[in-house]
Amino acid sequence: MMGIKMHIKPTVLLAYIVPTVLLAFLPMAGVPRSWIIYTFLFAIYLAMSNMWNLLAGYSGLVSLCQPAFLGIAGYGMVIGTWIGIPWWIGLLGGAALAAIFALLLSNAVFRLTGVYFSIGTLVVPEALRMVFYIWRPVGGSMQGAGAGYMLRGSAATLSPSYIYWMALAVGLVSMIIMRIVLRSNLGLGLAAVRDNERSAASCGVNVFRLKVYTFMISGAVTGLAGAIYFMNMGYIEPSASFSVKWTMAILLATVIGGIRTEEGPIFGCIVTVALYFLLARYGGYSFLIQGIILIAIMLLSPQGIVGLLRKMKWYCKLTAYSEG
Amino acid sequence: METEPILKIENIEVFHGTFQAIWGLSMEVRRNESCALIGANTAGKSTLLDTINGVLHPATGSIKFLGQEISKLDPFEIVDLGITQVPEGRRLFPEMTVLENLIMGSYTPNARKHCKENLKRVFELFPKVKDRQKQLAKTMSGGEQQMVAIGRGLMAHPQLIMIDELSLGLAPIIVDEIFRTIHQIKAQGVTVLFVEQNVAKTLMEADRAYIIETGKVSLSGTATDLRNDKNVHKAYFGV
Amino acid sequence: MGHGDLFTPILMGVMLGGLYALTALGLSMVFGVMRVINLAHGDLVVLASYGSYAVLTILGLDPVLGLVITIPVMFVIGVLIQKYLMSKAVTIGAEAPLIIAFGLSLVIQNTNQIMWTPLSRGINTRYSQASFYIFHRQFPMTYLMDFVVGIVVMLVLREFLRRTYMGKAISATAMDPRASRLMGVNTKRIYYYAFGIAMISAAIAGTFLGMTFPFTPTSGTTFLTIAFGTVIIGGLGSMMGTFMGGIILGLVQTLSAYFLGANAQMLVLYVVIIAILAFRPQGLFGR
Repeated sequence: MMGIKMHIKPTVLLAYIVPTVLLAFLPMAGVPRSWIIYTFLFAIYLAMSNMWNLLAGYSGLVSLCQPAFLGIAGYGMVIGTWIGIPWWIGLLGGAALAAIFALLLSNAVFRLTGVYFSIGTLVVPEALRMVFYIWRPVGGSMQGAGAGYMLRGSAATLSPSYIYWMALAVGLVSMIIMRIVLRSNLGLGLAAVRDNERSAASCGVNVFRLKVYTFMISGAVTGLAGAIYFMNMGYIEPSASFSVKWTMAILLATVIGGIRTEEGPIFGCIVTVALYFLLARYGGYSFLIQGIILIAIMLLSPQGIVGLLRKMKWYCKLTAYSEG
Repeated sequence: METEPILKIENIEVFHGTFQAIWGLSMEVRRNESCALIGANTAGKSTLLDTINGVLHPATGSIKFLGQEISKLDPFEIVDLGITQVPEGRRLFPEMTVLENLIMGSYTPNARKHCKENLKRVFELFPKVKDRQKQLAKTMSGGEQQMVAIGRGLMAHPQLIMIDELSLGLAPIIVDEIFRTIHQIKAQGVTVLFVEQNVAKTLMEADRAYIIETGKVSLSGTATDLRNDKNVHKAYFGV
Repeated sequence: MGHGDLFTPILMGVMLGGLYALTALGLSMVFGVMRVINLAHGDLVVLASYGSYAVLTILGLDPVLGLVITIPVMFVIGVLIQKYLMSKAVTIGAEAPLIIAFGLSLVIQNTNQIMWTPLSRGINTRYSQASFYIFHRQFPMTYLMDFVVGIVVMLVLREFLRRTYMGKAISATAMDPRASRLMGVNTKRIYYYAFGIAMISAAIAGTFLGMTFPFTPTSGTTFLTIAFGTVIIGGLGSMMGTFMGGIILGLVQTLSAYFLGANAQMLVLYVVIIAILAFRPQGLFGR
């Protein structure tokens, strides 16, 4: 078993925890509701963006199947409320289901490299969407399209503040996971695999196992964030969960911030959620603009906001970033 | 006999990214001679050929072909001007027939005009190639592939043909045969520049040679002189 | 849905296969030459469908005749995409082409959505509604047209690649870009033309797809999946393989609709494609 050395500097830990605690006080501070919604979405996106960055940025696996994870976890959680298990078990269970799904998928997709992997993962959420249109695991048949489920039981009456704090927690956890993973043997192995898979293999890196672990972590945390999101929504349906719109948002957040950078997702999510608020009234144009921004950033500043910031010396000193 | 160089390279420096492969190299190739580049594997010989051909560009220095500066041109422009490279490892188009490979060689406008006559010439030089023209390139033996590759180079109607690692992986008897053909090509007016690791053989076949070490010319001269040079003997023949 | 008559779904599947192969051609060419899978391919096909739809409804011109307009437009779009997006993307990094293609896909989808609303559309001409009869069974005329057009385009493309200098240059560049450059091929320009030609086939595919099935702005994902599946089954680089791949997928779709109902057909198709990806990515016919 790969040793995951858990060294994380106290200063960094504080830098993550302090703002989180401060943000946790927002509901009590009587700020406008939109601030809470913004921060909630920011935390959810942050978790998902970090997990995608782990796959695409650091492992070279441009995964387009994140919606599959969040959908499965979301459905797991909601159905859990129908069959009467405590909501927090449903939540964690949903994340576990997503991780298991990632494991099962691994066998199929990890023979594929590069583009094959991407398209393979693109198809999976689509297939799941069709499955959940037809299949209703619990409850009677529903009229009309969209096998949606409403949240039931104690989960439905949970205080929104709780859900908000859970979102903050998962966002924080995702940042800590990134920090730990990237500085561990797992992270080193991933970097090697990304750069030259064959050389990494001949150095004794168990490539397949590495990818599987990463995929499962990514699936679990993305699923958890998704489940929390749907807990907040109170309702889940196939087109809201297994939708490429999630992929678009996650990609955009990571790329705008700076793919393959640790702090990129933070900046990216700040911008993306802000964009979401600003463009909400423009409906269809919102995604059009996001798509254009995605292309433009990729061409003009591939390292996103962090890439631009790194051109300034004060930033490099602050984050102890060196070219080496 | 007055020989004005058809290719004149002056003081070029070539980089692979941040790694410098060629340092202040100067050399020339004279009309209608066979000129050799000798040196160890990583000495920079292939880089030099790629630079002449326009695949790479020198950071400084000049390359003049027939008096024209070509160091900044694209490969397809340089081929049209009359320089062609037979790359290392032959690199035939595997799924095309021998004939299709040859015709592909006469792609540039200048070469297309002479396609028929060049095809005839190639078939005369390499009768084996003519026999196998409908075969897929990947089914040919190493020696046959090298002949097709050289033939393909000739289809570009070049004034200078550059051959990278001619004898690589080939039996000595085939290598002899190919060198005989090179003499014929030379006799037809094409200048030949070739890169070789087999020093002894090269010095028997070439008119002049340059010895390249770590991206610089360390020795140069006529083949006869080099054959008798003490340094060459020590370095390459261990004597 | 009588269980005695397999002839209808089988013949329909084969004919549909011709159309699927046509849709896959563009994807296959771009991958073969530029080694890039254009994630936006399906959406570009749908764009062409909307283009033909516009030609019919706004200009009142028959969409097949309208190809005189849609083909050049798509060709130019293809060249522009390669020149300004894809060629830059490959220099940036491994994930850049994928991300940019993904962004392009969504831009196209949403542009279509804004211009045409999410309402599903169909290209309906007098003859696209007609049927023909074989052995007393009725078949839509569009299916036959799809099949014929598919074969014709593939043959034309094959001859183009074999006999013209440009076509040979494209094949050569696909096999060995470096050697091609040494032959004097301007590979940068070849890439533009390859993408443009891929878009020509997309224009034709989109027009006929639009006549055969209703389409919406989000149909692109489905077309991409089918095109990709076709290419995978057939193995890259083989036009005959692509054709067979199309037929196999066409049969999978019609037969599963026959046995399992219309709702299941797309799901079965997707599952089959995922299964092939998982167990035999080199395809059934590939090298």
